[in-house]
Amino acid sequence: MQTDIDLKRFSNQFTSYTELRLQENRSEGIGFLNGDMISNSKSAAGGISARVFDKGAWGFSCGAELSDDSISRTIQMATKNAAFLSSRSGRDGAVLPPATGHGDSDFTRTGPALSQEEKIAFLKKLDNYIVRNCPEVKSRSLNMSCLDMEKQLFTSDGAGGHNITTRSIIMIRLTTENDQGQPVELFSGIGERGQFEDVFSDSSEVEATIDKLYNKLLDKKNAARPEAGHHDVILDSDLAGILAHEAIGHTTEGDIVKAGSVAGDYLGQQVASELVTMVDFANTWHGETLPVPVYLDDEGVQSEDVTIIENGILKGFMHNKETATHFNTSVTGNARAYQYHDEPLVRMRNTAILPGTSKLDDMIASIDNGYYLMNWTNGQADSTSEFMFGVQMGYEIKDGKLGRAVSDTTISGIAFELLKDVSMLSDEMVWNCSGMCGKKQPLPVGMGGPAVKTKVFIGGQ
Amino acid sequence: MGVRETSAQVLDRMRASGYDKAYCNVADQELHELQSEDGDIKLMRTAFETDVSMTGIIEHKRGSIGINTTDRGSVDDALESLRQMTNAAQPDEANDIAEHTPAAQFTSGPSEPDYDAMYDRIMELQEHVATNYPTVNLRSTSITFGKTSTSRVNSNGVDLLEEQGAYSVSVQFSAKDGEATSSMNYTGYSTHVLDVPIAQKNDVDQLIAQSVEQMHTKNIPGKFTGDLIVSPHCLSTFTGFLMGKISDSAMIDGTSIYRGQLKELVADPSLTIRCCPLSDNLTAGYHTYGTGFVAQDTTVVENGLLQTFMLSQFGANKLGMARAVNGGGCTIIEPGDSSLEDMIKNVAEGIFINRFSGGRPNDQGEFSGIAKNSYYIKDGEIQFPIRETTISGNLAASLKNITAISRERLNSGASNVPWVQIRGITAS
Repeated sequence: MQTDIDLKRFSNQFTSYTELRLQENRSEGIGFLNGDMISNSKSAAGGISARVFDKGAWGFSCGAELSDDSISRTIQMATKNAAFLSSRSGRDGAVLPPATGHGDSDFTRTGPALSQEEKIAFLKKLDNYIVRNCPEVKSRSLNMSCLDMEKQLFTSDGAGGHNITTRSIIMIRLTTENDQGQPVELFSGIGERGQFEDVFSDSSEVEATIDKLYNKLLDKKNAARPEAGHHDVILDSDLAGILAHEAIGHTTEGDIVKAGSVAGDYLGQQVASELVTMVDFANTWHGETLPVPVYLDDEGVQSEDVTIIENGILKGFMHNKETATHFNTSVTGNARAYQYHDEPLVRMRNTAILPGTSKLDDMIASIDNGYYLMNWTNGQADSTSEFMFGVQMGYEIKDGKLGRAVSDTTISGIAFELLKDVSMLSDEMVWNCSGMCGKKQPLPVGMGGPAVKTKVFIGGQ
Repeated sequence: MGVRETSAQVLDRMRASGYDKAYCNVADQELHELQSEDGDIKLMRTAFETDVSMTGIIEHKRGSIGINTTDRGSVDDALESLRQMTNAAQPDEANDIAEHTPAAQFTSGPSEPDYDAMYDRIMELQEHVATNYPTVNLRSTSITFGKTSTSRVNSNGVDLLEEQGAYSVSVQFSAKDGEATSSMNYTGYSTHVLDVPIAQKNDVDQLIAQSVEQMHTKNIPGKFTGDLIVSPHCLSTFTGFLMGKISDSAMIDGTSIYRGQLKELVADPSLTIRCCPLSDNLTAGYHTYGTGFVAQDTTVVENGLLQTFMLSQFGANKLGMARAVNGGGCTIIEPGDSSLEDMIKNVAEGIFINRFSGGRPNDQGEFSGIAKNSYYIKDGEIQFPIRETTISGNLAASLKNITAISRERLNSGASNVPWVQIRGITAS
């Protein structure tokens, strides 16, 4: 797709606040199941979209064709749609806060591209590694997925930029059989920001992940069921990330707060242990570029970090222009759209609970009877902050020591109550890049955190 | 140029490129949408989209590519990329495309949106809620009219054209009064005509009314094993496990507990599940799918007996079994002989579940998760809306532990299913 169109040329057609966005999403997938190739695909979907704000109503239009005439028609249709809505209902002439952000970024590979043969060979090599080194595996799958999102934006405020974000992930699933002949499964993803060539330049890191996964699978093979009920637990760092995103993060998105989330009642209050600080980072933490770096959002706002919880106090929410106006506060640069044909919504970027000072071993040693839980499968939360996460496995903790493995379960509770029970945070920060948030539109998100000691309800018989 | 001409041109170029087998699908889609947020119609969207999908097979090696433009340069680039992908692929004799079928055209639904009706139906719902449920916030309501023309052609002579039009309606809501907040709930349906108020479709009014009650939830008295009455809104959690495990991935990798269970009892004899994309009662149906197949209705489970696996052509070839005669979805479950009211009366202790937030079940079907927007039942009566209640059990066993199926069903346009009573679920 042509991505070097000068969008400013169309500004004379803007009659009210307008965003003009040129975007293409490019994806690749290669999959192997038990050594057989089951997918080998690519796709590219791009086009132009215009969003126009008129007296409190939005008009949106889009099209894949990129001729001058087509772009003009897209602007005219969006303008017409906004005018239709603003004429049909009494509008108060709401005005959005101006934003003149600028930002360019490009996370495409720096070296030459690998051929399809080379990518397939890389996956095949990993598959052979599993066959050679994981003798008890009865079934295996490897699925590579790569996504590049290229966006060029220009708004009637004069904001604009050209950003290319990329990420590459390989999902590994291993299955063995327990003593009763029943399948026992464990899966994990490895990957990060960047294109395949940069992320998977060396197979040794993926092979190390396979080794760890296999060892855990052997532990899980004859795992016990966890005892249902409230327990002292250590949530591994990957669970802290999804806790930050799913259970707390969503309740503090401006549109969800506006719609009645419980977090709206708690601003300025103690909602967590004083150990807990939680931030939605725009793009960088401690000098490190994060999994989903956002420099300029899709409303032309320069992205800023949002401190959601600081030392246990609920400090702020994430906003787009409309919710910032509603709450009479500043925009934060959280408006993001997935495809060219999607409108920007309030979305998280890289949401994390910040690490503490404890050592993981000390945290485990501090529990007489509980669980160390890891490897989440999925998660859901509610505006009440009630959450549920699927957990693939864990270990019993007895008298401060890890015991038997425990099998798949779910953990649940009220997130703001769980945070008040946080008594230790490990000193390591682990970022997860494989998150795909599903709030109306799918969208890549980053999540991070340390291991967390707290209390949680564990499901089961 | 229409979708048929475009797909034919692309297929000709694929043939000329030397593919043993080639498939092309071109779809033009028009979307017209009104979105309401927090009780205010906020966005009107018009979108024109085109999808071009190409699959090529050479010497049993397969590649697929999708683009959304039809200009010659873009198609040439895509074909070049597809050639590289296909050459690099691993051969598998299971790779194939749909066999020849007579050319056919199918048309369903309206071809133009009725913007006035779209606008009026949303406004009507907002007024209904503001009048009757002042504590309810209609967080998001949308009506989308979609019109799609899809041409499927392949090198076996398949030439299918399908034109579909339908409205999709979705409603998301919660209630809040002071600091009392209900759990969020949502529902949606598909329809060819906006002739009925949204509140009167797919249980919308009942679910909104329940949100008001659900601002004040209670914990269940204690852990128990009892009955679950599963509403149509979350029945797919239970039937979905079976449908997933009789499909490609679990069947091919051998982890499906239903392998070898054809014609065996996999559910209580009262349960009959059909996949009916051709049903006149389902507006979200379809006539064509995959690499150029014409869909047929099928019975998946009849009187508890598994009648078919839901394998794709690849999966069927891989396993030497029959492929499914449609692409899945469009679930119809036959009604039972109990009234929903009687089902509730027959529960000594249990949960009436409207929404399930659960973890991924393991391969045996063991599951646990939270019963959302749900109620505690004791001595045949619904007692109160519940909070922080986990239910657990085994999904495969649950289908065998069905004790009643309601006469009443809910038709969302995408499915038509009843309320189902299951024994032996643990709540804690």
